Amino acid sequence: MSQATVEQVKPVPPGRSPNVFKTTTPQQRKLRKQRKQSEDAGIRALNAKWGYLFIAPFFVMFLIFGLAPVIYSIFIAFFNWDPLADTQEWYGLKNFELLLTDDQFWVALRNTFSIWFFSTFPQLLMALGLAAILKNRFLKGSTFWRTMLLVPNITAVLAIAIVFGQLFGRDFGLVNLVLSWFGVTQHIDWVAHPLTSHIAIATMITWRWLGYNTLICLAAMLSIPQYLYESADLDGASKWQQFRYVTMPQMKNTIVFVLIVATIGGLQVFAEPLILGGNMSGGDSRQFSTLTLFLYEQAFVNNRWGYAAAIGILITVIVLIVSGINFLITRRIASEDN
Amino acid sequence: MKLSKMTRLAVFGATVAALAFGAVTPAQAATTTVTIWSYGNVIEPWAITEYQRLHPDIRISVKKNTLDAHHQSLITAFRANTTPDVAAIEVSYSGFFKAYPRYFSDMSGLLNQSDYLDWRWNQGVATGGKLIGLPTDVGGLQVAYRTDLFRAHGLPTSRAAVSALWSSGWSAFINTGKTYVSHLSTAEKTSCRVKKVCYGFIDNAGTMYPAILNQGSKKYYETNGSLIYDTNASVRTAFTTTATAMTSGISTRINQFTSDWNAGMTKGIFAVVLAPAWMLDYIKQQAGSTRGKWDIASLPGGGGNLGGSQLSVPAAAKHAVAAKAFVKWYLSPAIQLQIFKRYGLFPSAKSLYTQSALTGYKDTFFSSAPVGQIYVTGVQRLRPIYEGKNQRAIDNYFGQSLAKVALGKMTASQAWSDALSNIRHNITN
Repeated sequence: MSQATVEQVKPVPPGRSPNVFKTTTPQQRKLRKQRKQSEDAGIRALNAKWGYLFIAPFFVMFLIFGLAPVIYSIFIAFFNWDPLADTQEWYGLKNFELLLTDDQFWVALRNTFSIWFFSTFPQLLMALGLAAILKNRFLKGSTFWRTMLLVPNITAVLAIAIVFGQLFGRDFGLVNLVLSWFGVTQHIDWVAHPLTSHIAIATMITWRWLGYNTLICLAAMLSIPQYLYESADLDGASKWQQFRYVTMPQMKNTIVFVLIVATIGGLQVFAEPLILGGNMSGGDSRQFSTLTLFLYEQAFVNNRWGYAAAIGILITVIVLIVSGINFLITRRIASEDN
Repeated sequence: MKLSKMTRLAVFGATVAALAFGAVTPAQAATTTVTIWSYGNVIEPWAITEYQRLHPDIRISVKKNTLDAHHQSLITAFRANTTPDVAAIEVSYSGFFKAYPRYFSDMSGLLNQSDYLDWRWNQGVATGGKLIGLPTDVGGLQVAYRTDLFRAHGLPTSRAAVSALWSSGWSAFINTGKTYVSHLSTAEKTSCRVKKVCYGFIDNAGTMYPAILNQGSKKYYETNGSLIYDTNASVRTAFTTTATAMTSGISTRINQFTSDWNAGMTKGIFAVVLAPAWMLDYIKQQAGSTRGKWDIASLPGGGGNLGGSQLSVPAAAKHAVAAKAFVKWYLSPAIQLQIFKRYGLFPSAKSLYTQSALTGYKDTFFSSAPVGQIYVTGVQRLRPIYEGKNQRAIDNYFGQSLAKVALGKMTASQAWSDALSNIRHNITN
């Protein structure tokens, strides 16, 4: 059994489309085309007329609660904006200049990416592993397990943060107690140091989102054609080899999707550090202050709305950059498939 | 057929409803609903029921939120002219709102200033002299200590003797702490060094900073609103004294209101907590097994306070007259006394401080200490301090730098310049 034989068991290249969200098969596309052709022209005219009405609820809401605040915050980013003052002082680009020389901003940026790293990659590995276990046909009560996995996801962030805050207590926390059984007798002051607090926060995020990501991975795994595994079996591939050379390549797009969603979520981490620290500064020495927490602190503790707006714009720029990198990686993976 | 029957039924139902409501409408039309935005237990439920009983034409509707969220929605409400009729404002935020008196109604003439603590009354006076808020309860601040632990660590136990230990001020307090930790067992001393439980004298030395600062006559602002946080000697003193305490090994560095703090209180990890009156109830609930082992001594360096709020009527209030009538009633000395008897919140009305209900108030949990007498004496020793616009943010920055001293990341003087540079960068007025 060589790797080459397994590679040959890949007659249908997966995810030919460069778009992760487009997961139609050729058969589906054909069907859709037929349906479209037979579609009544009258209905199409009706759609053109009434369609706008039916999509209006979302777009009206988006206009009021999405677009308008964005434009407003871009506007106030150029002022020394004081929420209750009568006149506002024009600042030009000064907010941005201040921001780029602000240590607190760079600390928050570093913390955000560190927490993102610790919450995303271990979680992805665990999700893949769990999905592989749940996929097993011989697993008893698989529906029960799949449902249970989602329970953390419907728990309020606040509750999670409070409970985990207690678990990560320095002197009487459960985590330190369990660690002491394995020879770590020193009490780790989880909240006090950057690295340990990032791990604590990442644990909360992982606990909450692991089930969700596992189900996504599971769905992707179940959609892999069974005959690929049967052929691999015939070729004598072991379970691990099947996972590595059949499952993993088929799941590239799903993994990229999970990564993108995790990145968007990771740049918005807010409630966990807020509850863990008890205030907006993200720990006594800002050791787990994140970008969104920093924005909130500047707006509502320091009452610098203009400065906070500038932070918001910078976060948007960072999201755009990260999304761009994601896009490039996705495209490269897709072209490899071709 | 079926439909028409349904319709008939609906019409009948609607008629009945209209008649029923119609009968009530005349009475309802006369009622005024006073909306109150509040947090925590500023407005006690008993008072609402009582006020509505006394004034059948008034309904009181209270909307509660968490401390920070409450004040943040107030700011937006002021901006959008959608304010409640009464707004509770906490001391740490009052400095900010005081910079914008035009958003508030004038509260003068409602209550008699001489009935209230001067410094509490002054917290409601805006920049320019307009009275925008009236004082609710007062937190006070005293030292709650464990008599059993004091005895075991070479210290006296009676509240008079303990208060005398540090009557000369905060450095005596720190020295008492040193005596205490020198009597720790060898196992307890090494415990912290090998990064296990840190035993100490005080739960967290960081709590000393606001206590010392409140004993001065000025904090970060002059009364005209100009910033003096970097030049005011009493800020520097509070900072340095706290930093000294942090590096002298007397603090367990446990943060208050965490699970470690609750456990530490029960297990005797520390022996001293700087406690406002409202915290006593928390100690009782969290460390019920230590009943009778606590006592209360007076705070080093004079009186003390932590927390407190005021009630304001925004200028945009729809029912300003009814709102002011309620505030006048609720904060009157007579009702403050009722609130103290029912909920244990200490009145800011000093005219009550001779009442036996207050002076005679003792608590068996705290070795029958005359809690009322001790706190009443403490709050009368404080002087008015001008709370400026960004008071809360400046407090945060000093606190963050002090935390670096506690963790051994900075020396006191490094932390001082760290705090100053952060404040300079973030606070413009």
